[in-house]
Amino acid sequence: MRLLVVEDERDLADALRRALEEEEFAVDISGDGEDALFKIREMPYDAVVLDLMLPRLDGWSVLQQARAAGIRTPVLILTARDVIDDRVRGLNLGADDYLTKPFALAELVARVRAMIRRAYGNPVATLQLGDLTIDTAAREVRRHGLPLELTAREFAILELLIRSRGSVVARATICEHIYNEEADVLSNVVDVHVAALRRKLGADLIRTRRGEGYIIDA
Amino acid sequence: MLSSLRARLLLWYTLILALVIATFAGTVCYLFWRSLVDDVDQGLQGSAVGLVEGLRPTDFGDFDLVLPLEYREIDGAPPPLTYYAVWNGAGELIDRSAIDFEIPMPAATGARTHDGRRELAVTAVNGTIVLVGRDLREIQGEVLGFATTAAAGGIVALALSLLGGWFLVGRALAPVARISQAAARMTAGDLSARIAIERTENELEQVALALNQAFDRLHLAVDNERRFTADASHELRTPLATISAELEWALARERSSDEYRRCLDTSSRAAQRMRSVVERLLTLARADAAEMSLQKAPVGLGPIVQDALGILRPLAEQKQVAIDAELGAATVVGDRDRLTDLVTNLLSNAIQYNHPGGQLRVDVWPEGDAACLRVRDTGIGISAEDLPRIFERFYRADKARTTHSGGAGLGLAIAKWIVDAHGGQIACESVVGKGTDILVRLPRVT
Repeated sequence: MRLLVVEDERDLADALRRALEEEEFAVDISGDGEDALFKIREMPYDAVVLDLMLPRLDGWSVLQQARAAGIRTPVLILTARDVIDDRVRGLNLGADDYLTKPFALAELVARVRAMIRRAYGNPVATLQLGDLTIDTAAREVRRHGLPLELTAREFAILELLIRSRGSVVARATICEHIYNEEADVLSNVVDVHVAALRRKLGADLIRTRRGEGYIIDA
Repeated sequence: MLSSLRARLLLWYTLILALVIATFAGTVCYLFWRSLVDDVDQGLQGSAVGLVEGLRPTDFGDFDLVLPLEYREIDGAPPPLTYYAVWNGAGELIDRSAIDFEIPMPAATGARTHDGRRELAVTAVNGTIVLVGRDLREIQGEVLGFATTAAAGGIVALALSLLGGWFLVGRALAPVARISQAAARMTAGDLSARIAIERTENELEQVALALNQAFDRLHLAVDNERRFTADASHELRTPLATISAELEWALARERSSDEYRRCLDTSSRAAQRMRSVVERLLTLARADAAEMSLQKAPVGLGPIVQDALGILRPLAEQKQVAIDAELGAATVVGDRDRLTDLVTNLLSNAIQYNHPGGQLRVDVWPEGDAACLRVRDTGIGISAEDLPRIFERFYRADKARTTHSGGAGLGLAIAKWIVDAHGGQIACESVVGKGTDILVRLPRVT
């Protein structure tokens, strides 16, 4: 799952990136409003963590313009402003959630995950697929109750395919969701991960649509 | 409150009006009555003269009475309203009208009103007393009729003026209603409430105008207060969030010593920033509460600048800013520590917001009775839009918030307070991209 963290305080942005990457998110950082708006419009982020007090373009404007451009990415506002009017304004402009600084990292992660689940139309953290149980919060896959060893990337690809179950997901889309902007990705890296997934989960689960991408049937 | 004010105004108004109408009508009725009674008196006078003339003593010691026409009986009945009586010198009744009531002999001559009748007694020949009288029922009726008409008119007039008064008082008090509505909304927390003003020449509208101005200032003050609190919380919460995120991350699992070091480093930087914000906030809070006492003593401005430059030189070198100072002799009476804060503040801004390879020029010189300090830089400058607000708390022209400069937007607010507390002035001119020029003038002693 790929996130954009919009935060002008560099130390805090770094801390957030590290913490979120450990939670197996692909994280991009943006330090000002204009850059953030550009990135939100260009990239299919799974969620955005947005500060309100930003240089160049404030968080409300970023939100408003992104929503006006038809972008439906879930947005969590993360700000030091705790005036109720500010929160109401943020939520009315199309934010999905709100967290006030200082915050607990665990809560931030849980809220971001919840937002993403809701955006994919499934409010529950655990997904069931045949004899597989996928716990997106604990980052675990079990078959008949026995845990399977998946790498972070493999898990991310599996999660994405399951969330988009029934429709084909292009390789490029997979790359966009599991790597941040700094990653230099080889063209066949997705195929390598998918091959590994097939080894661990069975050959039939993920099917290849030649020239289009991968699909897990509904 | 309002309706009772209206009712009370109206009650007093009505009472006064009723009193005036009653007094006037009473006086008119009385005068009317008096004039009628005067007419009666004149008639009685004439009749008395006629009776006295008609009274002739006879040789037998008694009298003959030739009655004037108006006292003669008509068809055996006395005239309906007038009557007479005559007594001789011994007080014996000689003659009287054939009337059915007693006429006591008057104790004295002259006119009197007695039992609804007007009577006039005069003395005539040989000590006889002649009394003529007239019943007043007729004119009483007349006056009563007049009084009834007057009372009815008065009541109508009172009712009309009451109605008009109600309307006029309501109209005059209308602004009060609007004022109280606006005040109520204001109290309920709607700071944008204002009193609608219709006619400005009215005194109450003037009050409303003055209140609106007061509301404006209140609104502004509350807004500033809110903004200040929000800004202060932002400046403190952001580094706190950094510390808390770093610590939570570090504690989540075992980390390498490099990771711990970096985490502590970041936390320490954030703590430093919080400390600086807290200190500055406290300075301003004490200044606001007038608790900050200045230890004033004669002090040279030049040496203060020299000291500040000494402290800031490493920063200037790091930012590659060249410093050029020309420090004349100018002594002011002031608090050395505060003035050092002031100078350090201005100089560090000039370095922080400069370009690499930029210039910083400081001048101190005496001019008239002022000691002048001028700090010019070739930095990023301040836009015309930001310029009027740079001395406000938490206002940052530097929207990019190069947070590593450590500024929270309080430095210039403190600088201005220090200058004000020393009875001086501070002014700022700036061109974006060219640089900023700050001039401080303080009262000089030598």
